[in-house]
Amino acid sequence: MTSMVVNGKRGGQSLVLKGVDPETCMIVFKNHWAQVVKILEKHDPLRSNVGGLGGGHGLGGGGGLASFRFGAIPGDEASAVQNYVEHMLFLLMEEECGQNGAMGPILEFVVMENVLERLFIWSLRREFTDDMKLEQLKMYEMLIGQAKQPLLHHKPVLKPLMMLLSSCSGSPSGPSSSAVETELVLLLNQLCCVLAKDPSVLELFFHTSEDQGAANFLIFSLLIPFIHREGSVGQQARDALLLIMALSAENQVVAKHIAENTYFCPVLATGLSGLYSSLPTKLDVPSEEWHCLHREDWQQLPALVQFLNSLEFCNAVIQVAHPSIRDQLVGYIHNGFLVPVLAPALHKLTLEEVMTTTAYLDLFIRSVSEPALLHTLLSFILLHRHDNVHILDTLVSRINTPFQLGTVSLALFRTLIGLHCEDVMLQLVFKYLIPCNHMMLSQRRVLRERDCYSVSAAKLLALTPSCCSPEVIPPPLRQLDSILWSKGTDGSHIGTMESKEVLSEEDDCGNSCVIGSEIYLDVSYLDYLCDAQNSISHCIRACCVWSAPYDGENPPPEEYQRSTLEEADLTATPGLLELEWDDSYDACPTQPHPEEDQETRPIPDEPPKHIQELRRTAVMIVKGSYIEESEFQNDVMVYDLVAQKDAHDSGNGYHAPSKPTEPAKQEVLDGPVTDQKTANSESLMSNGLSSPLDEMDSKKRGSQSEHKSLEGEDLMAQYEELIRTLGAQHSSPAKADGELKSPTVLMDDEEDEIDFNSFSPETPETEKLPSPFGTKPRSGSRGHAVPFTGPFLSVLLSRLENMPSNSLHVNLLLTGILAQLAAYPQPLLRSFLLNTNMVFQPSVRSLYQVLASVKNQIEQWSANNKDFPELLTAAQHSLLARESSLRADRIKKNPTIQPKTVVPLNETEVYATVLFTEFLKELAAFAQEHSILSYPPTEQ
Amino acid sequence: MNTFWSMSTNAGRKRSDGEEQGGPGEQRSSPTHPPFGKKQLPSIPKNAVPITKAASPASSTESANGTHASYGPFYLEYSLLAEFTLVIKQRLPGIYVQPSYRSTLMWFGVIFIRHGLYQDGVFKFTVYIPDNFPDGDCPRVIFDTPVFHPLVDSVSGELDVRRAFTKWRRNHNHIWQVLMYARTIFYKINTMDPLNPEAVVLYDKDFQLFKSKVVDSVKLCNSHLFDQPKIDDPFAISFSPWNPAVHEEAKDKMFAYKRLHSDPLLTTPHNQRWPEDYNKGPLVSGLSWVKPGSTQPFSKEDIPLQT
Repeated sequence: MTSMVVNGKRGGQSLVLKGVDPETCMIVFKNHWAQVVKILEKHDPLRSNVGGLGGGHGLGGGGGLASFRFGAIPGDEASAVQNYVEHMLFLLMEEECGQNGAMGPILEFVVMENVLERLFIWSLRREFTDDMKLEQLKMYEMLIGQAKQPLLHHKPVLKPLMMLLSSCSGSPSGPSSSAVETELVLLLNQLCCVLAKDPSVLELFFHTSEDQGAANFLIFSLLIPFIHREGSVGQQARDALLLIMALSAENQVVAKHIAENTYFCPVLATGLSGLYSSLPTKLDVPSEEWHCLHREDWQQLPALVQFLNSLEFCNAVIQVAHPSIRDQLVGYIHNGFLVPVLAPALHKLTLEEVMTTTAYLDLFIRSVSEPALLHTLLSFILLHRHDNVHILDTLVSRINTPFQLGTVSLALFRTLIGLHCEDVMLQLVFKYLIPCNHMMLSQRRVLRERDCYSVSAAKLLALTPSCCSPEVIPPPLRQLDSILWSKGTDGSHIGTMESKEVLSEEDDCGNSCVIGSEIYLDVSYLDYLCDAQNSISHCIRACCVWSAPYDGENPPPEEYQRSTLEEADLTATPGLLELEWDDSYDACPTQPHPEEDQETRPIPDEPPKHIQELRRTAVMIVKGSYIEESEFQNDVMVYDLVAQKDAHDSGNGYHAPSKPTEPAKQEVLDGPVTDQKTANSESLMSNGLSSPLDEMDSKKRGSQSEHKSLEGEDLMAQYEELIRTLGAQHSSPAKADGELKSPTVLMDDEEDEIDFNSFSPETPETEKLPSPFGTKPRSGSRGHAVPFTGPFLSVLLSRLENMPSNSLHVNLLLTGILAQLAAYPQPLLRSFLLNTNMVFQPSVRSLYQVLASVKNQIEQWSANNKDFPELLTAAQHSLLARESSLRADRIKKNPTIQPKTVVPLNETEVYATVLFTEFLKELAAFAQEHSILSYPPTEQ
Repeated sequence: MNTFWSMSTNAGRKRSDGEEQGGPGEQRSSPTHPPFGKKQLPSIPKNAVPITKAASPASSTESANGTHASYGPFYLEYSLLAEFTLVIKQRLPGIYVQPSYRSTLMWFGVIFIRHGLYQDGVFKFTVYIPDNFPDGDCPRVIFDTPVFHPLVDSVSGELDVRRAFTKWRRNHNHIWQVLMYARTIFYKINTMDPLNPEAVVLYDKDFQLFKSKVVDSVKLCNSHLFDQPKIDDPFAISFSPWNPAVHEEAKDKMFAYKRLHSDPLLTTPHNQRWPEDYNKGPLVSGLSWVKPGSTQPFSKEDIPLQT
């Protein structure tokens, strides 16, 4: 049979068959079958006593069956059967449907005679090797793929198929060979395609199982172990699963089954943890400029590619699956990956590790598109607290760290701001601006006013350093002349109308509109205007879904102030405060306060051991030693039992399985034992607590044989534990998703406590901390929150103030982020960044003030350096070259070309000066475009 | 030197602001509708007669160095664009304006009078804005055909704007107010210090004759409705008799647009200003899980299903 498939004999036979009438085919088929039956019966223990019966029949899946052997079947008989079967299958495949969709006669015969099941049992009777499995798998693959009539609707076809599938699965006898796995997944994929096309078959898949006493969905369960597999096998399995996921969106039964009876979601989520653990903990940073993982970077890291494949799969599942599955998966990702794995990873001990994790997080956010998944990632960042500090606060605090952690953190915020997510912007920026404490009381009504006459733009551009003034810069850097208009242009339209017009204009005594000639204008500024217009209108459209305009009236500043005040009196969160003002990197940024070591933590049940459990679980799944859950186990056994029944009937006593791999299975069937085991493994882990990495290493080092049974045991225990933790009061995993939301809700409430108190004057810790600004608020006796625009804006501006000493790429990131913020149309932010006429509280540093300070630094520096103009010109040329090489790269997709640098890159001041000048234009363009695209309409 | 010039990209935008025109493809192919939002240098209007004019500083803003000279025209352009958006926002009843193609300093307009003495009058006019706006004199309004009205010069057609805006004050005075004023004079007749003394005499002494002169004037204006625009400009307002082949489609589009954007969010004035933007490019959507009225992130109970 194998040979037939492989050699593609069918093609030749097809020609032969054409025109042969169905009756002849039927006769041939029957004849062949009669020959086969003769051989089968000759070796059937029920019919004859040929071949001694082996003593030990294993019931444990394929392994057990393989050991169940009769006397050797002569080779010629085996190949005879194979030959007949080949022909028979071919006849079956080629048979057309009967009238009105009835079965064709051959199929009817196959069903009546139970041909396929008998053939399957025959193959079991012979040595059930991988080759045998392959043969059977290919047979079904061919039948399903090429039969001209639907076969799967018939139980005598479906049942042996199921038996085959279960025997090929990763049974306790150990994983099958990769060839078998490949073929198995291919067949499963094919079955899923059939399901997707004809959902009525689905019913049969469920019913078949019910008959066997276990309601399940074997095809699905068999695919789960391959979820995280790399290469084409994994991809095929994921594609197949996605087909089922799409099915679940319309079929409640499927959705319910997957959510309630399978561990699909936990496997998927913990798999992420496992894959994450194999990512490099430290990245080889290619250059000092590097600050985020681009495609070229992560494509070099197979582990990262694999992780992203799985993440992409999660994204796809969430996109197509039934909401119940989506919610469950999202919950498991939060509680099974983000909280136990990513959160501690973000708080590792070394700078490089933390930087690497930050870059990963940034990449993950960029790789995800489904709102539900983004919701999970973002709520983790915004609401989750690690060691009592919000992840977001930790991340913000790192912007000011030296080396690349600072820039990688900046890149992460660039991604976050680019999402146009109200929740992110609220936590980063708006919650500090809503109370309007940062401005003078009289300024609140000015807040929404638009800069009708481009006054702000003019003020910003007036900050242009004298060395960069438009008159000073020589061409081609100054593109002024290209907009030159001359009087005598293009005479084609100048005619009588022209002169008439001139006349009329004279008549109107100077009422003419005039077009200036020979005006020198900065052409590049047009590009900035155009960019600004695009960004702002893009941003306005994106923000249409937001809940409020943030215009100083909605949300009302007064309400927020009051609540701030109240909360400020309640508690203080010292940890947070330290972070926000920490501009020197601390090796251990989240050292808990002594009192926090006591059991006052909000979530005492989220200890590292939990992480490690999940890690272990996940690692095992990834390594392919995954064992299906109880229901599936039952099913495999059922099928095995079916297969063994014949043997049993032959007079051999039934023995309880006694293979060494059995305990795990028993345990599964036995509820209480599982609990006990869970307790055991738990205590074991809490005792032998080490760093997650050590745990992994020891896993790797451990000998395979020793681990096999243990792993299975642990795995089940861990799943139980996982379910227990996630749905504390609920028994079924399906209900866990309702539960999953509660942490978020809980955190919401806690959020209130710490919102503003950290910035209130009542908090004594504030006073003690060194501030990066000399103007850090100290007053505030009025009882209002101290004017403060929030840690994020503060830290951005503080880094911007150091522009002259920042490296080029840091400045590019900084100005890029500020430009992103400047595109936001909300009056609170727009007025803070771009309205140069606003009067802020003395303690609040505005963007304009910071820019003015940078200008002064530049003026001083340039005055003290004789060769500054030459350096400046060279820097401008080199930046232009960089720009064009970047553009070229974008077209050629060749990122490796490094821009030529005329000026040594250590001349940071020179580059900063050029960048500063351009940044002023960019900001001025934003200010001007806002004045005509302003949102929302205010003037009445 | 601060003279004025016109930016074709902005002319394109004004076009889309002023009225809902046909499809974007149509606009792209037409020379009078330069591609919207595309980065490009302003094209030079072919029939423009550049006239160099001495000009006063456009803005009172101090400039530290040469930046103002280079960017001054941009400030003026955007000041006028801002004025224009204000006009759009006001939705003045019966008034339509459109900046000329050549220059944002010249706006074409038309007023429809719906009741009163001047009922059924359709008066075309042109607004001339001084090039030192907003620091110069008030804009001038000149009717294409001199309307018989105490405040309208019977020869030049100029409206006495100065009486309402003795001194033009930046930030306080806006062009929409001038337009509003131009409309008001037809509903509330003021006879003090007239530009057209004859009209006032008749108004006071022989109201019937005044009325009949007004009716004649309205008729005269309306009879010139389909005339070629007085000033040749691609954006000049011109009328033509109803022609289903030409106008039906445009009318349908306007109503279809209205139906399409019946969403309250989109029908707010600020959003109507860039209908083209909504039609082009991929649909962008931000994210929000903030419950309206709350300032807590992720305060919405349900995760909205966005596809």
